[in-house]
Amino acid sequence: MAEVLVPIGPQHPALKEPVSFRVWADGEVIVRLEMDVSYNHRGIEKGAEQRDFHRTLPLLERICGICSHSHTTVFAKGIEALMQVEAPPRARAIRTVVAELERVHSHLLWLGVAAHEVGFNTLFMWTWRDREAVQDVLEALTGNRVNYGINAVGGVRRDWPPDLVSTALDRVAPLGDRVRLYADMVAREKTMLARFTGVGKLTREQVLAYGAVGPTARASGVDYDVRRDDPYLDYARLPWKVITDDHGDVLGRTLVRVGELHESLNMIQVLLRDLPPGEIRAKVPRTAPPGEFLSRYEAPRGELVHFLRTNGTDRAERVDVRTPTMANWTSVAMALRGRWLADIPVIVAAIDPCLSCTSRVSLADPEGRDRGGMTWDELREHGIRFYAEGRHER
Amino acid sequence: MTAPADLARVASVLEGLGTAEAVPGPRIRFTTTAGNLREAVRRALSGLDLDHFIQIGSVDTGKAIELHYHFTGPHRAVVTVAVALPREGTRAPSLADLLPPAGLLERQVHDLMGVEFDGHPALDRFILNEDWPAGEHPLRKDWKPREGAFYGGVRDAAPGPGGG
Repeated sequence: MAEVLVPIGPQHPALKEPVSFRVWADGEVIVRLEMDVSYNHRGIEKGAEQRDFHRTLPLLERICGICSHSHTTVFAKGIEALMQVEAPPRARAIRTVVAELERVHSHLLWLGVAAHEVGFNTLFMWTWRDREAVQDVLEALTGNRVNYGINAVGGVRRDWPPDLVSTALDRVAPLGDRVRLYADMVAREKTMLARFTGVGKLTREQVLAYGAVGPTARASGVDYDVRRDDPYLDYARLPWKVITDDHGDVLGRTLVRVGELHESLNMIQVLLRDLPPGEIRAKVPRTAPPGEFLSRYEAPRGELVHFLRTNGTDRAERVDVRTPTMANWTSVAMALRGRWLADIPVIVAAIDPCLSCTSRVSLADPEGRDRGGMTWDELREHGIRFYAEGRHER
Repeated sequence: MTAPADLARVASVLEGLGTAEAVPGPRIRFTTTAGNLREAVRRALSGLDLDHFIQIGSVDTGKAIELHYHFTGPHRAVVTVAVALPREGTRAPSLADLLPPAGLLERQVHDLMGVEFDGHPALDRFILNEDWPAGEHPLRKDWKPREGAFYGGVRDAAPGPGGG
């Protein structure tokens, strides 16, 4: 059968962000994939050169609606390093708590999306309900549910009184049991085992060659986590461990994220029980001396990098952002090769793309005959049906 | 365990190709030329245990376009191979065959900074939208939107299907 081009995206009215995939398929088997990620380019890097550091933070916070705190923290810690000031201990602890709450809500969101893509909507509802509790804690602690606005250059903008901290602790504690339940489900639940095992497989060597980061890399046995390997905030003094797995497939990526939920919830509770006293914001100069700094951060999806250049003024000369999703695209393109068309939703979802999604699949052969249409939902249904009917075994 | 990629080791592995210096981070920056870039990266990858390619950082200093190829490895030291390219006729050799992730990153740098990567298999548009005018690279310091030019989005004047 001739190869068929399957364009997926770029519009999806309800969910996620726009990206367009062009998938070449031979029958049901994916041959190769190209993508267009231009739809969401908003010129934020250019904008960051044109306003002072303090006004840049709210702009960078809007790069992403999930890792908003990641972008402000990686920028603030880089500019602070260039200014040679350090955020006070209490500010670092507050930043760390928000960073780990962000990871918890992001991983719970991912677990729900992955469950949804394989037709397991009960788990989708459960994890998103638990995520709601995390959002409530974030709202109580920072005043906001998405763009927290907690970071400032030199520290944080809001102190936490003791009663607020104890309320947050009460709300976070029950989530540990929920995560234990999910860990048990991932290990035993039939739908997940059937659709995640062996799907989107990447070996350790492939992960290193393609530059994948975060849970995608750690699920293939790459022991790399910026929180430990280039420590920042409070990670060097906290009790936690880097979670790795050697399945190398979507199941492995699920196990890593569930393990990280445990570690994050534990870190949040340790920090909240014993927040260092003192100031929450250091006095910072208006300008930063000329210099450059490669600021790295372990965002929920993996290593996030801001390459910063300052020039002696109150503005950055250059803010070059490399997001974890950018690092993971090459591995997705490779993981999809030779797989079923039906596996696209879960393999793409498995890297937790921060810029994603799709609305419409039109099927067309190279001569333009036999055109049809497919929505993302239909592709998802196709995936569920494909496996339910056992067509992958034929 | 692997040997640390310290300043002396970087300088000896990449001897004859440029100069190494320690920069805050901590990080080791090795400055080379476009002509020696591929050789420097090839030697660094094998000789310095660099198994993770982090990013191509790009900067327009007003005098030159700088590219900073950041790497790390099991030793967790960060090594940067840097080149400064002229702002006119900006070209660098592609590293897409040595480093698969460089393929997408070079397309991004090409869009935003106007660097031509010689030997790239398909230096197609990646981060700028399809309507963006060719030859305009928005992260160049002297780039300004031209009056009347169309940079994507919805054209005000032209009604679309259904009346627009």
